[in-house]
Amino acid sequence: MRKKIKIYLPFLENEFKSNLAYKGSFYLFMLCYLFSPFINYYLWMAIYGSTDSGSIGGLTRDEMVIYVFMIYVTTEMVFVGISEYIREHVVEGSVVMNLIKPMDYRMSLISQAAGTMVYRFFAPTVFVWIGVEIYKACVLGMGITPLSNILCYMLSLLMSFLIYVLFDFCFGMIAFITTYMYGMQLIKDALISFLSGQLIPISFFPEAVGRLFEFLPFSSMVYTPVMIYLGKYSGAELAFVLGRQAVWVVLLYVTGSLLWRRITRRLVVLGG
Amino acid sequence: MIKVEHVSKEFVSAKKYQGLSGALKGLFSREKVHKMAVDDISFHIKKGEIVGYIGSNGAGKSTTIKMMTGILTPTKGKCLVNGIDPNKQRKKNAQNIGVVFGQRTQLWWDLPLSESFTILKEIYDISDEAYRERIAFLNRVLSLDDFFTTPVRNLSLGQRMRADLGAALLHNPPVLYLDEPTIGLDLVVKDNIREAIKEINEKYDTTVILTTHDIGDIEELCSRILIIDKGQLIYDGSLAELKETYGTRRRVTMEVKDTKEAAAMPLGQWLGKPEDAYDIEADEENSSIAVSFDKNQLQVSEVIGCVMQHMEVRDIQIKETELAEIVKEIYNHGMAKEA
Repeated sequence: MRKKIKIYLPFLENEFKSNLAYKGSFYLFMLCYLFSPFINYYLWMAIYGSTDSGSIGGLTRDEMVIYVFMIYVTTEMVFVGISEYIREHVVEGSVVMNLIKPMDYRMSLISQAAGTMVYRFFAPTVFVWIGVEIYKACVLGMGITPLSNILCYMLSLLMSFLIYVLFDFCFGMIAFITTYMYGMQLIKDALISFLSGQLIPISFFPEAVGRLFEFLPFSSMVYTPVMIYLGKYSGAELAFVLGRQAVWVVLLYVTGSLLWRRITRRLVVLGG
Repeated sequence: MIKVEHVSKEFVSAKKYQGLSGALKGLFSREKVHKMAVDDISFHIKKGEIVGYIGSNGAGKSTTIKMMTGILTPTKGKCLVNGIDPNKQRKKNAQNIGVVFGQRTQLWWDLPLSESFTILKEIYDISDEAYRERIAFLNRVLSLDDFFTTPVRNLSLGQRMRADLGAALLHNPPVLYLDEPTIGLDLVVKDNIREAIKEINEKYDTTVILTTHDIGDIEELCSRILIIDKGQLIYDGSLAELKETYGTRRRVTMEVKDTKEAAAMPLGQWLGKPEDAYDIEADEENSSIAVSFDKNQLQVSEVIGCVMQHMEVRDIQIKETELAEIVKEIYNHGMAKEA
């Protein structure tokens, strides 16, 4: 285990460093990304303003504010795409260089993604998070989120990250078959934002649809940790949603291994 | 060390059509194009050999190398490298091999060379002691010191190639694959790289498989060559043997007084040989004639002696066929097996 960490840790560090190398682009992107929670915020406030009942889909207006911004915090750290790397490696043929080394391709990609996650945690997610807490305590008067919720959220977040990257690895395998997948990436992003609760909380859907969505792995990527943070689960239910995440981690890990074994058998290397 | 047995690789791709209407047609067509990149190749390589693997562009060299490294799975047949099937145990095989693809780098683009090496040290699980020894050795043969702390993206091509070679050798692999290691390099760097390969081979008894388009690489390094053409192995033997078998043409250039007269000389009659056994070319500008022939049919001394008897010869030059010409001939005409 220690040896494994020693092998893959440099990938994490390397990714962290190269993220720092392109500061300009990062701040621009961050600005764009920050638009979406604010647009969501105003949209939801308009919806809540036009309804008489205090809560929709089990969420009050104030909880919705927290939901919108915690979705931002969560997705920033969870949605670290590795299929883009795979696509790049396949298109440029540099996947060869990863295959001639005695290391696991998936592990190196996940380590890279972890580097980006750590970077995003510091810039700027943690500050948005602190901002949410201050707003929550001072303006909404809801008090600070209890530590137990935060710890459960962190655990859930970590599994969400694994679910996302493991899923994205499986998705990235398409690149080996089609060698082109930009369009499919757009479809994937749209589907995930819808199915994961990023756009609309899953509790807003009709019950049958909501159940189906909760059954899919996508709700475990974003919706679960945010609801944990909001304190919507407790006791057995909390254990169940965390367990469901763990099951998805295992399932996607196994699926990825099987796919990888099949794909490498029919691998095509582009360019020389 | 390396066993390749009846290996074939077939690539299947969707058929492409020409032009805009062709592109549209391609959307609905399900026709496939099959291409045999490597067709039933077998060879064995012993430990410590340096083998040149040559062939024209697209002949299947890189494909074969990729199958031996475990990147590609053969459609048919089997490879064994050091007793390991690289396709079944890719990671285990990777410990045993070093690879340099001249057109790509295996180093981390944004990191200084020193850090790339540290990562490789962890990946290959090299002990501190072995690492220090290797670095000292590689520094000496490849002089990596000059750019050890420079980010890889800032290295010149020659430096990068040396760095890549160093990276491939860091874990002291018993087998080294070099896919065009001297591509695009200047003469001095080429020489350095060749020297380094030689030294590594001598010191560690490393088996080296080298593909190249540079005949100089072959002449300097390889004791044995394999020639592949259109996916088929057409020659497997020593360099000397290849020259012996295919380099039998000799060309004698003689400076004479009257080129016209010399060109018309009845050499065949004088020697008692048929007219098609030799070929005479006249070069008016340099007032010389060139006689070319097969050394199995005529002897150099015979030809020179005969000509000198009949006319005044001021200067003589004898040329063997160069390896480059032999190889060019083989690429152009495939292999005349009966020759």
